[in-house]
Amino acid sequence: MPSFYQLLKKIIQTGIGRSRLIMAAGGLGIAMILLLIAIQAHSDFDQLLYSQQNANESADFLVINKKITNAMMGQRGQSVFTAAEIADIRQQSFVEAFGFITSNQYKVTAAAPGDLHFYTDMFFESVPDSFIDVKNEEWKWTPADNTIPIILPNDFLNLYNFGFALSQDLPQISQETVKAIPMKITISQGLLTQEFTGRIVGFSDRISSFLVPGSFMEWANGKFGNGVAASPSRVIIKTKDPSNPKLVKYLDDKGYNTNQDKIKYSKTKMIVQTIVSVIGFFGVVLLLFALLVFSMFIQLVIASCKKEIQLLVTLGTAPRQLQRYLMRQFVPLYIAIGIVALALVAALQWWASGQLAIYDMVISPWIAAGTGIAAVIVIVLVYIVNRINVRKYIHAIS
Amino acid sequence: MSMAVQPPWTFSFGKSSILSHHFKNTSYMQIQLENLVPVPLRDKILQRSSDIWNRQITFTPGSFIKIKAPSGTGKTTLVHYLYYIRTDYTGQVLVNGQPWASHSKATIAAMRQEQVSVIFQDLRVFEQLTARENIELKRVMNGQPYCTAEKVAEMAAKLNVTHVLNQSGSTLSYGERQRIAIIRALVQPFQWLIMDEPFSHLDEENAQRAAQLIAEECKARKAGFILTDLDNDTRFAYDIHYNL
Repeated sequence: MPSFYQLLKKIIQTGIGRSRLIMAAGGLGIAMILLLIAIQAHSDFDQLLYSQQNANESADFLVINKKITNAMMGQRGQSVFTAAEIADIRQQSFVEAFGFITSNQYKVTAAAPGDLHFYTDMFFESVPDSFIDVKNEEWKWTPADNTIPIILPNDFLNLYNFGFALSQDLPQISQETVKAIPMKITISQGLLTQEFTGRIVGFSDRISSFLVPGSFMEWANGKFGNGVAASPSRVIIKTKDPSNPKLVKYLDDKGYNTNQDKIKYSKTKMIVQTIVSVIGFFGVVLLLFALLVFSMFIQLVIASCKKEIQLLVTLGTAPRQLQRYLMRQFVPLYIAIGIVALALVAALQWWASGQLAIYDMVISPWIAAGTGIAAVIVIVLVYIVNRINVRKYIHAIS
Repeated sequence: MSMAVQPPWTFSFGKSSILSHHFKNTSYMQIQLENLVPVPLRDKILQRSSDIWNRQITFTPGSFIKIKAPSGTGKTTLVHYLYYIRTDYTGQVLVNGQPWASHSKATIAAMRQEQVSVIFQDLRVFEQLTARENIELKRVMNGQPYCTAEKVAEMAAKLNVTHVLNQSGSTLSYGERQRIAIIRALVQPFQWLIMDEPFSHLDEENAQRAAQLIAEECKARKAGFILTDLDNDTRFAYDIHYNL
């Protein structure tokens, strides 16, 4: 004996709008593939970008300063950040942490010990400890200490070893040796002078400056400085994504400068984001058209069986039973389309990952979770829209 | 209007909404008419007297009601109002104390599956289904068939339509369609069976068999019926007669 739904199938013929159904299904399929590719491409590009960076660091640090222009030269006040500008930087969404780089307000000279005949004027800066990448237990200072720990930029030693030393026929020095040499540091302001022993405790890739602990800087600026807290001319921020186009645009708009190398991916990222957005946009437009065609198909089916549906309702068939029957005709189709689209995108991803591996570019051979979730969301959306349509048209004639 | 003897357990509820509400879920479906007048027949009806139109009527649950109606007095119209497939009337048809329109479509569908059944004058058989499928559609509609398939076969045998059960609805004669429509109406549970000239296409012998089957099925359910027809007849032991 046939079931109720089998009997309904004989009465409500869904074959009438076959061409429309094929169009709608095709449209839905293409729309879904475009959308999923857009989402997957986005995730792949992120992977490519970040796998090239230091895998241990989830965030990056940028030292920001104002561009020195010809017009500004000689006017020191123009290169410092005002309180308002600092507050503005702090509240940007891409800034995870923010710190001042504090300069010395006194004279510093350094001399090598013994008969090395090395003597130079120099400067110190300090940043909050949380921004330093080469901290160790020696990185501390109290007023009782006569030894100042110092962090040098890695670039500085490289400049000496590979630029200066080679050309001047001087010996190249290893990091260990530099760390072993005690420097004679003299800080002074007018007649007030104090000598310290400087010891290099690390080499930083992050901050291009001669760093001393904040506690020393505070003490020395208090004792030797002019008593006025100086405005910082360099600040350091921590950010998740230095290639964030928002950050780059912000720096450009304000005329700020930072390590350009770190933000070089920004433009590529913007281009890719634009392309991906365009693909996604077409996907969404196509999806809307597919939904429209689906809705026309449903309308056609219901209109063509109007008399039959009305008699069914007259005989006591609940509108819900009719809705459920009609949805049963469509839902397997959506799910099939979703699975096919997902499978195609997965195959594409697998192929792309193989192709990119040749160029040493690593992306996952599997699709991202977001892509799968998007497929589910699209299916649910189509289901809801069609359900509303079926309900509406059934209601209209019952 | 002539009142015949009522079964001792029937009683009228008047318009008590509390009782009617109570009735909705537990017991007999209550049908009342309040000054019902079809809009298209208004002038004609107001010029003469009728036992149904423009009156207060409560159909006593479980009773066999005959409404005699000459052509053109709105017989089919009344059936359609009672079954809520036409609404061009003034006054009200109250079901369980509430006008039809206040019941949701889902509730009405449930009533049509469980509480009220119908045999239309124009039969309304699906032509794309076989006779058996037409009956089956109604039998399995509510998920838990009231009748077994054997019972259907039995009813078909009683009405002499066993041989057409596998025939397409479109090839059935009117008489066969009418008997299929009768069986279709009898495979579901109901408290009221509404019939519009149910024997119009049947010969006397088949009409008697059908009437007997209908009476048996109504008794088995303790259900009542409302039957409209052109003439007087004695096929049923009617409890109440109305003239439309």
